[in-house]
Amino acid sequence: MIQFWDIIERAENGKSLDANDWDRLVGKSAAEVVSKFDLKYDPDNPVPADDALADRMYEAGIELFERLGIYCIDTGKVLQFSRQEILEALENAPDHVVYGTGENMVHIPHRTIEDPRDPIVNFSAVGTPVTEELFVPICQSYAQEPMADTFSGPLITEFRGMGVSSGSPVEVEGGIWNVVKLREAARWAGRPQMPIHNFMSVAERTDATIAAARPELGALPGDGLFVAAVAELKVDYERLKKVSFLRHSPYVIGGLYGPLMGGFGGGPAATAALLVAHHCLGVMAFRAQRHNAFPVHIHHVCNTSREMLWLVSVTGQALARNSHLVIFANAFMAAGPCTEMIVRELSAHSLTATVSGWHLNPCAVAKNRQPLHCSAMEPRIHAEVGHVAARAGLDRKEVNRIAKALLEKYEKDFAQAPIGKSFTECYDPVLVRPRDEYLKLWEKGKQELAELGLDFDLIHQ
Amino acid sequence: MEKILTDLNKQVQLGEIEKVKELIQKALEEGVAAMDILEKGLRCAMEEVGGKFESLEIFLPEMMSAADAMKAGVEVLQPHLGSGSDAGQLGSILLGTVEGDIHDIGKNIVKIMLEGVGFKVTDLGFSVPTLSFVERVKETKPDVLGMSALMTSTMVHMPRVVQFLKDRGLRDEVKVIVGGAPVLPDWAEKIGADGYGNNAAEAIKAAKEMIK
Repeated sequence: MIQFWDIIERAENGKSLDANDWDRLVGKSAAEVVSKFDLKYDPDNPVPADDALADRMYEAGIELFERLGIYCIDTGKVLQFSRQEILEALENAPDHVVYGTGENMVHIPHRTIEDPRDPIVNFSAVGTPVTEELFVPICQSYAQEPMADTFSGPLITEFRGMGVSSGSPVEVEGGIWNVVKLREAARWAGRPQMPIHNFMSVAERTDATIAAARPELGALPGDGLFVAAVAELKVDYERLKKVSFLRHSPYVIGGLYGPLMGGFGGGPAATAALLVAHHCLGVMAFRAQRHNAFPVHIHHVCNTSREMLWLVSVTGQALARNSHLVIFANAFMAAGPCTEMIVRELSAHSLTATVSGWHLNPCAVAKNRQPLHCSAMEPRIHAEVGHVAARAGLDRKEVNRIAKALLEKYEKDFAQAPIGKSFTECYDPVLVRPRDEYLKLWEKGKQELAELGLDFDLIHQ
Repeated sequence: MEKILTDLNKQVQLGEIEKVKELIQKALEEGVAAMDILEKGLRCAMEEVGGKFESLEIFLPEMMSAADAMKAGVEVLQPHLGSGSDAGQLGSILLGTVEGDIHDIGKNIVKIMLEGVGFKVTDLGFSVPTLSFVERVKETKPDVLGMSALMTSTMVHMPRVVQFLKDRGLRDEVKVIVGGAPVLPDWAEKIGADGYGNNAAEAIKAAKEMIK
C-alpha cells in the first residue's frame, strides 16, 4: 500500500519531464484511452443510462492514471504507480466520511446511481469575492439553510484596506480572520458547532492555513479542508505540505479536481476520463477522504452545458458503480443570482448529479468571477431539486428527458449569460432573509419543474 | 501558388510538422515569397485554428499541435525572411502568470495564439516574482507586458507590478495587458493597465491595438 512517504520519495526521484511535454502527454494519452475504450460523447443523451459506458469510463480513467501518474511542478518529476498500487489504494480508500462531532455529526456514505437516499449538501459560495462587511451575513445565509449539512465561505480580496496577496503577512492575518468569521456566522445561524467542510478560502498558502487551523479560532475537530490539484494531474509542494499538515490533524481532507473541458485533455470524453484519474490522484497523493469535482467548460466556465452535464453524469456513474469513494459534484453556473437562467442551470445540474451518484456542493455562480454575486438561494434551489429527485426515485432516463427540456431553454445563452443580482439585491443583509423577488422567481421555477414531472411536496416528507 | 499555400494551411492545422517543412521548402523552390508563406500559409492557418478553438470545434491538444507545426515552419522560413531574428514579427511581448499562481493554462493558450499571429513572445512561466517582471521589462524592453492570474488571491499582485514599474520609471516604456479567470475590465482599469483580455482572442486583439 502506497504511503504518503512514497509520494514524497517519488516526487523527488521520479522520471524528469519538461512541464510542456507533460501537458502534451496528457492530451495524447487521453485521446488514446478514449479510442481504446470507445468513449463517445452523445449530445442526445446528456444523462445516459448506459452502465457499460460508465464501466468503460472507469477503466479508461484507471488506465490513464496508470499511464500518466502525477506531475510534480516543483521537482519536474513524474510520480508513477503500478496498476496494482492504484487498485489497492482505491480499495483501501474511505467509503464514508464524518464531519463534525456529537449532535452536529454529519455522516456521509458512498452514493450509488439512482440512490433514493438524500444527497448530502455542502453549501458554499465557492470562490466569490466579497467585502469584509458582508462576509458574515453572506456566510450566515448559507449556514442557516435547513438543507445545509455543512457550509463554507466566499473570500475577501482586501483586508483592512490592503490586498490579500498570496505569500504576504496580510494573507496570514486574513486567513485567521476567515476562520473566526466563519464560526461567528455559524453562531448567528443558530448552529454554532456546525461542520465547516472547507475552513479556508481567503488564504492560498499553507503557512496561512496552518496559522488559522486552531479550535480556539473556530476550526473545530471534524471540520475539513480542500486540497486542489492543478490542471491536469499536477501537484506542487505547497499542496503536498497541506497534506503533511492535515494527515496529522483532526480535519477531514477533501480532494478538489477541476479538469478543463477543451483544455489539455481534449473533449468531453477525454476530460471525463481525466476526472476519474484525478480521483486516483486524490486518493494517493492527497490522502483524500472525500472528493470534490468541478470540471468546467474552458470558455463558459460552468458545468451546466450539454457536454458538461454528460461529463458530470458519466464520471459520477463510473465512480459510483466501480468504486466506493465519497464524491461530490461542485456546481458551476454561467448565470448569476436571481435570474431564470440560473434556476434552470441549477436544476439541470442537481438532477444530473443526484441520479448519477454524486453528493452535492453548490455552488459557484456568474462564471465564478463577479464580486458579491452570490446568495444562499442558489444552493437552496440546488439542494431542494436534489432532494426531490432522490426521494421521487427518479432514474437516469427520466432525468435525461428533464435535463434536455431545461437545456433547450438556456443553452443558447452561455456567451451572454446574465450576471444577475448582488447579495444585497437578493437578500436583506440585516435580517439575512431572501427578498420576495428571488422567492417568487424560485416559485415560478418550481412550477416549471413540476410541469416537467418533479413533485416538490416530497420536500416536506 | 494558391494551392501550395492552401495545402500548407491544412497541414499546419493538422499539426503535421514534417509535411509543413516539406511544403515550405517546396514553396520556396517554386519562388513563393517567404513573407507570403508566413502570412498566407502559416499565420492564416493559426488564425483559423484560434477561431476553431474559440468555438470548440477543436480542443487545446489540436491547437498545441498546430502551434508546434507553425513553429517548425517558421524555423525553416526564418533565413528567408530578411535580416534580423525579428523579421516578420508584429512586436514583442513578455508574458507570465503572477506570483503565487501556478496555473498557466490560460497564459499558455494566449502564448500560442500570440505566436500564431506573429508576436515574439518571451514566456516567463508561472508564479513569476513581482520584481522579476520589472527586471525583465528593463532588460528586454518588450512592447507589451502580459500578466495572467487564475486565482483571486494572486491577481492582487498585478497592481504591485504596475506600481513597481512606475517606481522605477519604466511604466511609460511598456504597455500592460492583464487577463485570467477572476480578472474583470474594471479591475484592469482600477490598477492602471492599458489593456484587458476576457479571453485569448480578446488578449490578442488588445495586443495588436497596443502596437499600432
